[in-house]
Amino acid sequence: MDPAPHPAGGSSARPGPPGPARVLVADDEDDIRELVALAVRKAGCQVVTTAPDGGTALAAARSQLPDLAVLDVSMPGMTGLEICAALRADPATAGVRIVLLSAGASPDEVARGLAAGADAYLAKPFTVAGLVRQVRELAVREPAA
Amino acid sequence: MTVAVLDRARPPRPRPRLLDVGTWRSAAGGALPGALVSSVAAALLLAGVVPVVGRGAVHAGLAVLLAATAVGWSARRSTGAVRSLAVPVAQLVAVGLLYAGTASPTMLLLLLGPLWALATHPGRRGLAVAVAGTTAVLAVPHLVGSLPAAADLPGALLLGPLAVAAGGIAVHGTTRRLATQTDHIARLQREQAALLEQVQSRADELDTASRILAARAQTMTSVIDAVTEQSIIGTDRDGSIRVWNPGAEKMLGLLRPDVVRTRTILDFHLAEELTAAAADSGCGTGLETLVHVAREQGSDVRDWTYVAADGSHRTVSVAITPRSDDRGVHAGWNFVGTDMTEARATERMKDQFVSLISHELRTPLSSILGYLELVMDDEDQPLTDEQRSYLTTVERNAQRLLRLVGDLLFTAQVESGRFTLQPADVDLAGVVRAAEETARVAAATAGVQIVVDVPDEGLVVPGDAVRLGQACDNLVSNAVKFTPAGGQVRLVLRSAWRTADGELAEQALPGTVPVALLSVADTGMGIPAGEQGQLFTRFFRSSTAQRNAVPGVGLGLTITKAITTAHGGTLDLVSSEGAGTTFTMTLPVAPPA
Repeated sequence: MDPAPHPAGGSSARPGPPGPARVLVADDEDDIRELVALAVRKAGCQVVTTAPDGGTALAAARSQLPDLAVLDVSMPGMTGLEICAALRADPATAGVRIVLLSAGASPDEVARGLAAGADAYLAKPFTVAGLVRQVRELAVREPAA
Repeated sequence: MTVAVLDRARPPRPRPRLLDVGTWRSAAGGALPGALVSSVAAALLLAGVVPVVGRGAVHAGLAVLLAATAVGWSARRSTGAVRSLAVPVAQLVAVGLLYAGTASPTMLLLLLGPLWALATHPGRRGLAVAVAGTTAVLAVPHLVGSLPAAADLPGALLLGPLAVAAGGIAVHGTTRRLATQTDHIARLQREQAALLEQVQSRADELDTASRILAARAQTMTSVIDAVTEQSIIGTDRDGSIRVWNPGAEKMLGLLRPDVVRTRTILDFHLAEELTAAAADSGCGTGLETLVHVAREQGSDVRDWTYVAADGSHRTVSVAITPRSDDRGVHAGWNFVGTDMTEARATERMKDQFVSLISHELRTPLSSILGYLELVMDDEDQPLTDEQRSYLTTVERNAQRLLRLVGDLLFTAQVESGRFTLQPADVDLAGVVRAAEETARVAAATAGVQIVVDVPDEGLVVPGDAVRLGQACDNLVSNAVKFTPAGGQVRLVLRSAWRTADGELAEQALPGTVPVALLSVADTGMGIPAGEQGQLFTRFFRSSTAQRNAVPGVGLGLTITKAITTAHGGTLDLVSSEGAGTTFTMTLPVAPPA
């Protein structure tokens, strides 16, 4: 098992004692959602909520105030891009770091994801190692402001 | 002789009139006086009004008179000067003989006939002959002794010719004036006839030309009216509609009389689309938005949205061209449209289908590859060598499936024109080395040697690194796949120059551009000459590939060609069945202007 990093422990969204970074995982595919959760745990973070659709994911993000959200772009209810924009627009959730996952990996799609406010954009199929690396990087990163 | 037969009415020939001057003149100058003189002489002699003193002279006079009359009658149409003088002179001789034979001054009345003929003769010679002849006739009886030498002979000989001369001059003058007028009238008649002929000829030409024009117009109209699946709309320069064919009626739901001269082409375009196009082009609004490209380049073909009478929208591929009149002056515009509504909808559906399929295939592949990775990298529960070998096969095939999905999606993007490049400076030497690295394991397994010959200092071109890598990978993996064990694949990268028509040169020449030249040469099975032209077609697989069971679906070269073309480059091949194939790719070193 990879050693757990020393994550920023929710410093961006919620003050509290240091501990593993709290991560929200949202994907409408059960297998992918589980795979992402495994990778998040492998990165030494805590999965606070898994959501199967956009609406549930946004509600959970607002109530749980995670440090990091790993969102599928194409989900029923709300897309990952819409959740991303909604989180960025709300001061309470504007500091949540966001990783978007998508089967669409064209330059245009990546640009749209980053324009919506995502910190990283990974194309499916992703490697578990790549996602672990990305989660660790964002979990330890100090917020910009 | 060749006679041109013209289908035209001949001008009417001027018919001789009863009182035609020429006819009258001809009769008066010869035939008529002669006949009169003969008749009067015969009547006087038969009636015994004049005594006969010399029978021989009278007979001779009558014979000459009849002969002259006969000649004059038979030659009454002739205009010969000598002949026309000969008859009255003969008559004068006859009158002289009759005068001598009768010694009767009554006979002198007969002089009127020949004298009239001589006086009316054109030219003055007739007059001179008349005076001389009269003198001779008056003198003849005295000379032959049929009349006693009288004291008044010199007077008669003097007064007679004088009277003849005076009368003759008067008649001659009148005759000349009449003749001049007659000639003038005749000339006018000839000119009139010539003019009539010209007018008739011109009328015939006009008639022929107008019939040809009418036939052409009818042909054009029938052609345009026969087009029912394309709209043909002709406008004047302001866009007002002048031509509206059945295809336009069918497409837009309005009949010709409801449109021509009352509607403009803009009435059938989607206003929002025109506004957006005007903003994009910045080349004027309204009609100018539609026609500015055709005005500059001679024609313009693109999709426009037509709005039909029922308000429905049609996606129409419209070819716009300027139209000129018969003097070559710009007269308006032609809009030839093909309804592409269904075709475009099908294309969109195909795009959506490919995107959907590609998404739906990527999602399970994500799971397969992700969980495989977890199992294979799980340090807590290491796999046996056998398990690892099996799972490596699973992973290789999942990756192959993933590449296929990517190729399908990319091909669809190329087709729909949604294929974009991320431009950067790309070191092709690095790209070639990376392609060799990717293919190294497969080549080693197949017993194929890869030789890389690239400049140490690299060779940079402007382009999309990922796409160029993909193109290079395709060429190298193809070469390896098609080369049997023991063969060789040679990758050579060089600087070169390319002419506008694609010829390559090893040094800079006028009209050439610098390019990077990559050749991928194998010693493989080759491609039959007859199949080389189809090699870049989607899903095409050569017979050698199928015969040798070389795996693939026929997308690699299509994609490679599309990537090369998008970079402004060229991709060609030389192949010999059984000997090998060389693909040559050129890419411009400088970015496109």
